[in-house]
Amino acid sequence: MSYDTEHVRNVGETPGPITGIPTFTELLDNTDLAALYTSIRRAGTTTGPELVETTTVSKKTVYDYLHKLEQAGLISEVGDDAGTVVYAAEEFELTLTVQNTEVSITPQLVEIVAHENDFPTIERVLDDHGLVTFALAHDLVTAHSEGDVTIRQISELTGLSTGTTYDLVEALYSILDLGDDDSTPTTYVPDKFDDGEGDLLHESADE
Amino acid sequence: MTRIYTANVADTVMFRNLGKHPSPHMQSLQRAVEEARTEIWVPAAVYHELADAGSTDPPANPYLDTAIEDGWLRVATPLPGDRADGFDASAGSVKKARYVADEFLNRQSKYPETNNWADAALVALAVQLFEQNSRIRVITHTADANLAEACARIPPEFGYYDIKSRYYNPPQTAKTEFPTVESLTWDEQ
Repeated sequence: MSYDTEHVRNVGETPGPITGIPTFTELLDNTDLAALYTSIRRAGTTTGPELVETTTVSKKTVYDYLHKLEQAGLISEVGDDAGTVVYAAEEFELTLTVQNTEVSITPQLVEIVAHENDFPTIERVLDDHGLVTFALAHDLVTAHSEGDVTIRQISELTGLSTGTTYDLVEALYSILDLGDDDSTPTTYVPDKFDDGEGDLLHESADE
Repeated sequence: MTRIYTANVADTVMFRNLGKHPSPHMQSLQRAVEEARTEIWVPAAVYHELADAGSTDPPANPYLDTAIEDGWLRVATPLPGDRADGFDASAGSVKKARYVADEFLNRQSKYPETNNWADAALVALAVQLFEQNSRIRVITHTADANLAEACARIPPEFGYYDIKSRYYNPPQTAKTEFPTVESLTWDEQ
């Protein structure tokens, strides 16, 4: 059985604990913690020794962070591999609403923070412009990869300078592996647009 | 018989990817331009976006100035028209094309209306080059899908069909795919 209340949705018969709330926000502020969570999420399942091998932080830090993430419910023990605990990441969404503006912290944003050291513009945007602008820029760059906005539109909608926007676009395309697999540019020619697409000049004149 | 001139109009994102002078990617572009017997054109809006903010008067441009001095990259004279004036049916083609492009980009966007005057300059410059040259073909280069579409769709509405629009996705592919003879040439291999 599952039911909703004013503050809680999908609660089971015995409500599961969510503790360690600071860990959720620390994911946006601690690159190593964000990188560890992202590594587990990307791997599907993994173990402590595997993480010690692949991350740049010390063995002690890996286990401290695993404990912290598990306490917060962000990772779970899902098995045992010859006596070693196997972990899997949990999806989450932490939504904040302030003065009617709603913003969600998700694993997608955490993945970007995990690459902060490779792309200084990420830290600059988060520190100087805040979480809402950062999350908005993420969504708009994703929209750009789908052809829905131009880079200059991202700049205007976020209030970021064009220079910062170009840097951020490059960073997010690399981190999130956005865009086509084929690197060859697509060439549009007038023939591509048939008569059924409408006459833009007359549409502007009519307006 | 006079050879048909091919002009290549490039957006800001191309040069952001190639990097500031001295850049091996810009050197590749210069070689490709010479081999393809073409020139790179940019609207004044693109030059200003790439200039160092407020450093000198006139502004220094670490991406473009050397190419301009070497004579293979040209900055177009400021284009006519003012976005605030709205569409004027009696205006010239360049002005009208820019307004139509601005409107088209807003219509294609799933988010609120924005000022697309700098984006629209690419389309307007292509139309201006057609107006000023009778034997010309134009290739535009950008990493914005909607702008790439506007570049191929709008000039034909003014009677100019010799246009191709190259769209680089992801944008960073411009580093290697833009500075090539093939990308700058009308009859690519």
